Amino acid sequence: MADSGADPCGGAAASALEIQRLHERHQHATAYIRDKVNELLKVIGTSPLRPEELDDETLISLDPIGIVAGSFRQVLDHLNRTNEQLRFAREELQAIFDCAGLGILVIDREQRILASNAKFREQFAMGDVNLTGQYCREVVCKTDRPDRACPFMVTLKTGESFRCSDWVVAGRHYDIVETAMRNQAGAVTGCVLVYADITERIQSEEAQRRSEERYRDLFENTNDLIVSARPDGSIEYVNGAWCSTLGYSRAEAERLSLLELLHPSCDAACREHLRSLLRGEGGGQVRTTLTAKDGRMVVLEGDVSLMREHGKSVGFRAILRDTTEREILEEELRKREKLESVGLLAGGIAHDFNNILTAVLGNISLAQAAAAPGDPVHARLIEAEKAALAARGLTQQLLTFSHGGSPVKRLTSVAQLVRDQTIFSCRGSSVDCQIRTDPALWAVEVDEGQIGQVVNNLVLNAVQSMNNGGTVEVSADNVTVGPQDDPLLPRGNFVRITVHDTGCGIPRENLQRMFDPYFTTKPGGTGLGLAVTYSIVKQHGGHISVDSEWGRGTTFVLYLPASTQALPAPEYSVLEPQHGKGRILVMDDERIVREIAAAMLTELGYEAVSAVDGTAAIGLYKQARAQGRPFDAVIMDLTVPGGMGGKEAVRKLHSLDPGARVLVSSGYSNDPVMANYSEYGFCGVISKPYRLADLATALRAATPSPDPR
Amino acid sequence: MKTIDYDIRGQICPSTLLTALREINYHQEALHDGVVRLHFLTDNRDCVTTIPESARNMGYAAEVSREQGCYLIEVRGG
Repeated sequence: MADSGADPCGGAAASALEIQRLHERHQHATAYIRDKVNELLKVIGTSPLRPEELDDETLISLDPIGIVAGSFRQVLDHLNRTNEQLRFAREELQAIFDCAGLGILVIDREQRILASNAKFREQFAMGDVNLTGQYCREVVCKTDRPDRACPFMVTLKTGESFRCSDWVVAGRHYDIVETAMRNQAGAVTGCVLVYADITERIQSEEAQRRSEERYRDLFENTNDLIVSARPDGSIEYVNGAWCSTLGYSRAEAERLSLLELLHPSCDAACREHLRSLLRGEGGGQVRTTLTAKDGRMVVLEGDVSLMREHGKSVGFRAILRDTTEREILEEELRKREKLESVGLLAGGIAHDFNNILTAVLGNISLAQAAAAPGDPVHARLIEAEKAALAARGLTQQLLTFSHGGSPVKRLTSVAQLVRDQTIFSCRGSSVDCQIRTDPALWAVEVDEGQIGQVVNNLVLNAVQSMNNGGTVEVSADNVTVGPQDDPLLPRGNFVRITVHDTGCGIPRENLQRMFDPYFTTKPGGTGLGLAVTYSIVKQHGGHISVDSEWGRGTTFVLYLPASTQALPAPEYSVLEPQHGKGRILVMDDERIVREIAAAMLTELGYEAVSAVDGTAAIGLYKQARAQGRPFDAVIMDLTVPGGMGGKEAVRKLHSLDPGARVLVSSGYSNDPVMANYSEYGFCGVISKPYRLADLATALRAATPSPDPR
Repeated sequence: MKTIDYDIRGQICPSTLLTALREINYHQEALHDGVVRLHFLTDNRDCVTTIPESARNMGYAAEVSREQGCYLIEVRGG
């Protein structure tokens, strides 16, 4: 401390004392300052001043109190600013707390409510603001008993956050998050629960789930086939109907491409149509043919709609219907209609042709009778008769599928028929023939001639398909057709005749036309064999199908309806001598038929008189009776264009003479009247054309004794 | 931003702290305005705690780093 100066007037003692006192005061003040500075430094958190570090003079000049006071003012300013910020933050937080769209609840360790926001009160307390101090269970769960199983205790116990995704209270759904509050020591003092009301979302999800279920149900249970494909043709989605129709599982289908599923029968236009759809062009109605897993052809029809995203094609979806069965039935119908029209034409031709053949065959028969045995002419006549009989066979075939034809059915077993016809047809060929028939084969009502012709046609076809030898297997067995079988077959019991060969097979493109009349691939073939076969089978109420693969043989399967009747005992008949006596009236509109019939009757020993139609025949019959020279039998043509035919004439004749013996004759050998002649009043039948022996046999059979009246 | 350097090596607490507080008080406006920052180079370990803590209580940002075998305490506006 610097000296303030000496008193020159002798007050030295006083001055010294004063100086001493001032010095003490200075020391005291300095110690006080140092002490206070140390106190302040302690508050700041640092060590006290050391005298060796800061002497008294420096202490005063440094002004540590001023420094620390200045610092404290800054600390205070900073605290004030911080407090202001905290206050603002608290207000901000409170605003968020109150305005949040979520219910917020703060509870203590005893689950008493410390705070709640407006949304929480709206959710659980009908807006009641006075919740503080109440137990949360009273407000939320509406119970005054503590629930030890309350899941929200977890956070209070463990301090870990807890979330409950669908907590249902009073019919409403909440998503709840619970977070612990801790004190400075880290101990859990309570927790904050945030309640998000998700009822609308849950209801919307439920509605969407139900809607999706409805659509899925619709998709999966519809009979329509639904498929969606990507632009490269790969399958994206298929429904159950698609899988069951095509035979693929969903997983298999989703590894396939529609392009590879197209059936080989699809033409280039069909393939291009699919490609254009995949490119995002077209749409609308489609018809296509796919290959099922087992190789079946499946015809599909339906609608295609293109799928686009941001204007770019992302594939298509199609709703299709399986029309395979309908197509088969339509094809069957077309085939039947075609046969019917051809049959009508064929029937007319066959009838006229039979009349001509009657004259031809009759004249040959008469010429044979006139020619001496051993005469070269006789041999020529035999050849001519064979040719005429072959022509009769042809007209017979034409008539068989003509509409007016009806089989002359008889209850029989086809076992022997199948055996005989097969052996006959295979005779002279190098083919190995194997026949197997069920010993207990059911009886059928069939025209043996026609069914024999069918078996003959099928076996001959088989033999001709095996030029280099092979095996033909013919079998006949019993089969019951149920709902699981071919939809084209009627239900019931059938006798099934199967003709299988190991021949060259039939190309796929020909299979469809197999039964068309005049369709043939054989040089010199008539194209009538299988058409006639088809017609015969249909007229017997049966069914025929063919299965073949080029180079691997063919199988024809023929179904004939089984009869419910048992087979009668076998019949035996003995042929009578051909010649006879008596007067026979022949009625026919064709002159050549009348003339040859009269000539043949004369040759057989009868006296013949002829008439052009039914009216003339009745007149002659009356006249002969009146003259006492009645006719022993009458042969009547069934059909007389523009005049009275046999059907009407026989009725009228019987009204005159119930004992009149009338035989029916027709070129329509398959007419129902011919098949069931006795029902129409005739006592016999003779199909045109006929030989001398046929005529004699028919007359003999129709008259009661070898010697007519 | 201007940096003002103080070499207070050789000083010990609380002298170092008082020096730092004095300079912070003096430059408080410039510090708050962000035009200046103060660098205290010290070899006293105690003041590495006291200076930054006091500065932060006053509302400043403070960081300590090692430099030339000593400590560099930077104080700047918060």
